[in-house]
Amino acid sequence: MPTHLTTLSINGQQSSAYKSTADLGIVRELYSPDASPAGAYIHIPFCFHKCHYCDFYSLVENRGREAAFVARLVDELRIIGGYLKQPLRTIFFGGGTPTLLETSLWQDLLRAINQHLPIAQNAEITVEANPETVRPDLMDLLAKGGINRISIGAQSFQPDHLKALERWHDPENVKRAIVLAQESGITNINIDLIFAIPGQTLNDWLTDLDTAISLSPSHLSCYGLTYEPNTPLTEKLRQGRIIRVDEDLEAEMYEATRKKLTEAGYEQYEISNWAKPHYQCQHNLMYWNNKNWWAFGPSASGHINGLRWKNVPHLGEYLKATDLPSIIDVEKLDEDGQVGEALMLGLRLTQGIKLIDLDALLLKGKQGKERLCVIDQHTQSGLLEKTADRIRFTAKGQLLADSVLSDLI
Amino acid sequence: MKATMHSFPYFRTQPSRLTAYSSGLKTPLHIRNFSIIAHIDHGKSTLADRLLQMTEAVSERDAKEQLLDSMDLERERGITIKASAVTVTHEYKGETYQLNFIDTPGHVDFTYEVSRALTACEGALLVVDATQGVEAQTVANAYLAINNDLELIPVINKIDLPTARPEDVAMEIEQVLGLSTDDCIYCSAKTGEGIMEMLDCICEKLPPPRKSEVKETRALIFDSHYDDYRGVVVYIRIFDGSLTVGDKVRMMGTGRTFTITELGRYTPTQTKSKTLGHAEVGYMVAAIKSLEDVRVGDTITLDTNPANEALPGYEEPMQVVFCEFYPATQTEDSGKKGDYETLRDAINKLHLNDASFTYEPIHSEALGFGFRCGFLGLLHMEIVQERLEREGGVEIVQTAPTVSYQIELRDGTLVEIHNPADLPDLSNVVSIREPIVKLEIICPTENIGDLMKLCDGRRGTYKSQQFISQTRQILDYELPLAEIIYDFYDKLKSITRGYGTMDYEITGYRADRLVKVNILVNNQPVEALSIICHRDIAEKRSRLILQKLRKQIARHQFEIPLQAAIGGKIIARETIKGVRKNVTAKCYGGDISRKRKLLEKQKRGKKRMKTVGSVNIPQEAFLAVLEQE
Ligand SMILES: Nc1nc2c(ncn2[C@@H]2O[C@H](COP(=O)(O)OP(=O)(O)O)[C@@H](O)[C@H]2O)c(=O)[nH]1
Ligand code: SF4
Ligand SMILES: [Mg+2]
Repeated sequence: MPTHLTTLSINGQQSSAYKSTADLGIVRELYSPDASPAGAYIHIPFCFHKCHYCDFYSLVENRGREAAFVARLVDELRIIGGYLKQPLRTIFFGGGTPTLLETSLWQDLLRAINQHLPIAQNAEITVEANPETVRPDLMDLLAKGGINRISIGAQSFQPDHLKALERWHDPENVKRAIVLAQESGITNINIDLIFAIPGQTLNDWLTDLDTAISLSPSHLSCYGLTYEPNTPLTEKLRQGRIIRVDEDLEAEMYEATRKKLTEAGYEQYEISNWAKPHYQCQHNLMYWNNKNWWAFGPSASGHINGLRWKNVPHLGEYLKATDLPSIIDVEKLDEDGQVGEALMLGLRLTQGIKLIDLDALLLKGKQGKERLCVIDQHTQSGLLEKTADRIRFTAKGQLLADSVLSDLI
Repeated sequence: MKATMHSFPYFRTQPSRLTAYSSGLKTPLHIRNFSIIAHIDHGKSTLADRLLQMTEAVSERDAKEQLLDSMDLERERGITIKASAVTVTHEYKGETYQLNFIDTPGHVDFTYEVSRALTACEGALLVVDATQGVEAQTVANAYLAINNDLELIPVINKIDLPTARPEDVAMEIEQVLGLSTDDCIYCSAKTGEGIMEMLDCICEKLPPPRKSEVKETRALIFDSHYDDYRGVVVYIRIFDGSLTVGDKVRMMGTGRTFTITELGRYTPTQTKSKTLGHAEVGYMVAAIKSLEDVRVGDTITLDTNPANEALPGYEEPMQVVFCEFYPATQTEDSGKKGDYETLRDAINKLHLNDASFTYEPIHSEALGFGFRCGFLGLLHMEIVQERLEREGGVEIVQTAPTVSYQIELRDGTLVEIHNPADLPDLSNVVSIREPIVKLEIICPTENIGDLMKLCDGRRGTYKSQQFISQTRQILDYELPLAEIIYDFYDKLKSITRGYGTMDYEITGYRADRLVKVNILVNNQPVEALSIICHRDIAEKRSRLILQKLRKQIARHQFEIPLQAAIGGKIIARETIKGVRKNVTAKCYGGDISRKRKLLEKQKRGKKRMKTVGSVNIPQEAFLAVLEQE
């Protein structure tokens, strides 16, 4: 247990690195009931190969450190577990490639979460999986350990497009992975897909969607390819070695996605997310509803009542710590900042924000009037719309969300 | 960010370094007042140094140390180091001659500035580089001197160089300027060869100053500069009578009076003197607070015994080229005012030393606070910008130069405008007149055809053509100034592979089929983008402008028409398609802070842009349009 709890005023300030959530008094906050997190995010920072578009914190050729990492993570779970007063409703193992971990290490990990974390009865517990690393023994273990949702990074079913992303897996394995998961009893399955890959046509994309639908996952995430700074893909773009898909075509792809998935019985509930009824991802909804969650593992970000932070994205540092990991990017926004953030997140949801909640948000901070104007303006221009009880993006507005949000933020 | 015009490599801003010292001037028996004129880099400064050095009383080593000392002192005290007229002595045939070397002030490439200095002289050394031969400004400056009735001594410099061809160059001088090859002095400013002969020649050939014409005192102001401690220092040439410290003087043009507190000469250090006598050249200090109070070309007389008639001055230079200066750095919110003020202070200060440019504060919705400035020419504009940046420590955004226009109105009046946006209602306009220049190009014969094509394409009228030598010619054209403030000089240089030189002179204003082109963004006219140009090229210019705008303005949520119009008639059109997709694909727990910051940055960006008809136009767009093609 941490012994040196201090409370620091960190309003709006970035604190220097290498203090922990304990040093900054964030952990102590957890004693108050309204700070109790609804979920937990656990980051597993290992991959067997680095995809060219990826800006997640993940290491390759570091398998020798997996055991030490799991041991440290188990410690972290134990320490924080001691503070958690209310049961967690969602847990998400992300990465990296969580399924890369040895089955025996998963055993330790599953034991730890079940032992140290309070978990709600029907909590949603997700593990991200790379199709290549899914194996029967692991699936059985996960299912038994309480994992009830698998998210499979398929990205594309066409080898040349996977190649364009430098993503290494055989598309055939996606189906195999789904079958294996289902056989072990995990039926809530997501498939991640990427569109607007250089060289992809509208038809290519529609074919990918058909393939995904034919596997009948309960959930589909479809992301327009994002060129993140400092990734090989972005560098190739800069050098002119790849050509970005035309903006108009990308828009068409998105519109086609909405149409096709709706016809196939999937309901859009967020800009990039579709689900069969009742299969929306509870964990991700927690982010967009701006709820509290705790972060475990290097580079994982946490949020408690407007305060955000990130564990140091450095495995060496993480392994060196003796209690809680060092954190960076600590940020507590003023009211206006918090309102902006809530709007940015809430409007990503297809159903939008409840009008009562909107009113409450606009009463906070100094920019309420200005924001109301922006909302009216974009409502008139047809990018936002009001329903009986909500404000939300129109179909056209969803495609231009950032144009609206950059006025509203 | 910076929209500057092409640079003129033949131009230099350093003041000449004078490295001679002479003391103990007695009342002179003989006086010779002269200037040195040359095309840039032909060796004017080097020759001046050498000339002063060879007339010195003290050793070269002492001279240098002494000069450096005094310069350091001047620097410490923040006094402008500038000697506009230097007095030295030379022994010729057993007699002492006072040589007043009048430096063509500041920037020798400006005929108007050169002419100031020439008015105070009886003669001039025309320096020509023995390897380069006669060039455009050799000719321009020589004619200026000839028109001022000066005696010219052709000096062929750099004869030490192996590629020197002094005889050929002497022939060119004879051919073009009618100065006999027999009169040429051959020298090397570098080695000192021929310099003594040149000094003797000055004493021998240049005429002595003319006798007094009237009894009253008359002195011509040929230059001035501002000194932080003493106020304005006025450079004068006394034509009649004399001046003494304590005299109350009157400026005949402005009618203002001052009391002389100091008189002296530059030798080249300042040497005070109680009086300055007939035909002498020196400086005057009289508690004059601002350069505005002094008009170069004005005549000084005694308040108690004034002359009836002023000396013939020279025409006030006219500002013909205009552009706008804005501070380049505009700190996001509060800092904006500070940057503008730094620029304003720099301009004010520079104006103390160069009253020949005009400036007025303006506010552009697109570019913020700045100044619209008028210059005597393109080079002048470049120098002012350079000096503001270097001496004033401000980084400047400069818009493309435009010319001044004279607008003839229905009621018969003429108004001058410096900005297309100021054009009066067209229904009242009879004609738009633009400045016309006489352009003189000196170039290799083989480039004549291409250069004529270039000039013809710029609304030029062929005037004449003349051989300088077997391989080089002078080409004279008349064309609108507006046609050469764009890329003309660059084109000339590239056609002639660097061998061509040019010079021009404003000859007047003339009406042509000029039109105002309005640029409409989303159907709203944007004044800051409007231009005046010739009807025949209006379509082409407009298309270029619209294409640049299309690249600079981000796609909006709606389609944006860009149009160019003359009156109600659309002559060019482009369209910026509406944005189809602008959305962050992923926004999960770890992305939130970063995405929020990105959106906030975009929001600030949008606020900084000018909005026209709900279109955000970034500053860069205005500058891109104003840049040269
Ligand atoms: N070899 C040689 N070089 C010279 C001579 N006179 C001037 N120069 C060089 O020519 C260049 C231009 O000289 P400068 O006096 O600055 O020319 P200005 O622009 O007419 O004042 C400099 O590099 C000088 O060193 C000379 O007589 N011989
Ligand atoms: S598998 Fe995922 S985390 Fe690993 S490199 Fe690829 S995109 Fe990044
Ligand atoms: Mg020089």
